[in-house]
Amino acid sequence: MSDRWTDRLSEYLDGELGAADVAALEAHLPSCADCQATLEQLRRVVARAQALDDRPPTTDLWPAIARHVGVVSLDARRARRRLSFTVPQLAAAAVALTLLSAGSAWLLLRRPAGAPPSQSTTTPSPILTNVGTYEANPRYAAAVADLERVLAQGRSRLDTATVRVIEKNLGIIDRAIRDAQSALAADPANSYLNLHLAQEMRRKLELLRQAAALAGART
Amino acid sequence: MLTTLATLAGLALAQQTDTTVPVRAGARLEVNNFGGEIAVKTWSKTAVRVTASHSSRDRIIVDASEQVVRVKSESRRGPSQVVDYEITVPAAMALALSGVYTDITVDGSQGEITAETVQGTVKVSGGVGNVSLKSVQGDVTLEKARGRIDLSSVNETIKASEISGDISAETVNGDISLVQVESSNAEATTVNGDVLYDGTIKDGGRYRFSTHDGDLRVSVPEKSNVSVSVSTFDGDFSACFPVQLVGLKTKHRFTLTIGSGSARLELESFNGDIRLCRPGQLAKDKDWRAKNKDWDKNKDHDQDHDQDQEEE
Amino acid sequence: MDAEAADVALAQSGDGRAFERLYRTHVPRIHGLVRRMISTGEPEDVTQDVFVRAWEKLHTFRGEAAFGTWLHRLAVNVILAKRKTLGGERRRFGEDSGEMLERVAGREREPEHGIDFEEALRRLPDGARQVFILHDVQGYRHEEIAKLLGVVPGTSKSQLHHARMALRRNLER
Repeated sequence: MSDRWTDRLSEYLDGELGAADVAALEAHLPSCADCQATLEQLRRVVARAQALDDRPPTTDLWPAIARHVGVVSLDARRARRRLSFTVPQLAAAAVALTLLSAGSAWLLLRRPAGAPPSQSTTTPSPILTNVGTYEANPRYAAAVADLERVLAQGRSRLDTATVRVIEKNLGIIDRAIRDAQSALAADPANSYLNLHLAQEMRRKLELLRQAAALAGART
Repeated sequence: MLTTLATLAGLALAQQTDTTVPVRAGARLEVNNFGGEIAVKTWSKTAVRVTASHSSRDRIIVDASEQVVRVKSESRRGPSQVVDYEITVPAAMALALSGVYTDITVDGSQGEITAETVQGTVKVSGGVGNVSLKSVQGDVTLEKARGRIDLSSVNETIKASEISGDISAETVNGDISLVQVESSNAEATTVNGDVLYDGTIKDGGRYRFSTHDGDLRVSVPEKSNVSVSVSTFDGDFSACFPVQLVGLKTKHRFTLTIGSGSARLELESFNGDIRLCRPGQLAKDKDWRAKNKDWDKNKDHDQDHDQDQEEE
Repeated sequence: MDAEAADVALAQSGDGRAFERLYRTHVPRIHGLVRRMISTGEPEDVTQDVFVRAWEKLHTFRGEAAFGTWLHRLAVNVILAKRKTLGGERRRFGEDSGEMLERVAGREREPEHGIDFEEALRRLPDGARQVFILHDVQGYRHEEIAKLLGVVPGTSKSQLHHARMALRRNLER
């Protein structure tokens, strides 16, 4: 029991029909009990959607989150001294580099003591990036391993040309990562190198995701 | 006897389908073609015409509802064979085209376009609104589009020209060329390739061009207002016009301000050179590496000499 | 500056306790979103990933919108990125899900009559469910949903309508 207006009732409900169509539909409605009933049902579905309740997860996720974020292992004093700068401003200041102790390899860039906090007009951003030993970061390594596994399992579904292209490009990105890492070893405070390394690592992850999706989606 | 069979087999593969269906304004086209071509053209009729060349084992399904015209192929036995589609649509129709071993071309569209392939090229002329073109192994080429443009390849080049709007281009092993671009928001990033941007630098705009192993060549029109931040590990910077480096500069990182510095231009090349020129000059500027460079007198030149010795 | 804005500023400068307060405030809604949007994988893992990512991206929050809005958008991005690694992306909006939807919407007498609304929601095909959640529960517009899910707005509209039509019969519980 659907007429030509049934499929347009949602658009009407959401105010997305053009004026001419609205007029035509509203002229049609009084004589169409089915349309009226459907419209009413759709209204109630939308209302029901907005009434869905939200419960927190049954286990408390905070301890696991805190571990990942390295918050728990940070020395409180160091945490308070971390300040917000834009990257160019960091380059302009004398930077001190502190590699935090075992467990979380966060790269911490902070101003030398005594200089006033930046009142930058551009958006300040805390530079807290774990790029110095990004690959040692368990989350990154786990994500890469997961994707490589999905790719290995689905690899037979990809043709050899595609596999070759993907492997070649993973190699290109790996080489860029190695270049950046060895440059960083000689110049660890260099903010461009840190961000560049982070970018290339993200790109690797992105390519692996793309490849894994291709391997999974192919029938 | 054998030649006769071969001829018959040949005939069996070449079948044509030709269907035209009327469409409503606002409907979109969805084509999924595992292997072959998808070529879309436009006309002024409110109808969609699908012509296809395919094997006799396949039949083409054109499923038209009020909101979408879906085109795909179905095989009587086993997977579909290669199908080459030529589809003519109303200019404003939104297009969602996808395939795996598929080359996709679009000509004359005035609607939104999403085109994705794996082993194949994407070549689009037109597009309004969201335009998203992707390939893994294949060039992506776009011209005459406006709106929000998103271009991505993995192993090949990206070329865009006569574009207006926000543009984002990303590839791993390929060059990116964005020319005749009018934009306040442009980003192009590659790992192993050059980036060329010849377009507007508008007040308040944000532009970011980055490569690991390749050169950046960017146009800065006269009377632009832009803060340029340059980052490189092992590359050189030069400009076709006089520039003043401001603020602290290191061998690897410095900023320069042009005009009021309103727009932001970020240039990053790990292992390649960065050059700024005026619009229209970049294409002619092929041998720029060999020419004299305009340097701020205070810049450290040690690196340049090493670089010069390495150049071919 | 209200209490939440103060916590956001503190968290941005590295204060873990402030971030924990933000977590406690927002986790019910985020977890609800995660539970309903994903079809495979563990909701609790995904919720955890959302907050870890929020911490990593905290410096990009500029205070132009409410923190909750920013967090929601980030959650949607995390959820949608996960579906790509779990496969099946191309099929979400394909022929199959369309047929399934029409069958679900068209049935008159069905055992599914007796299930409750949330269960009916869970049984929708992925694409339709996600569009429904994003539009009717979270309030995103079709243009935004189209960008997030990688489809054209027309697909978002038709999937929404199909989802609503399918859910009509499960309103009472």
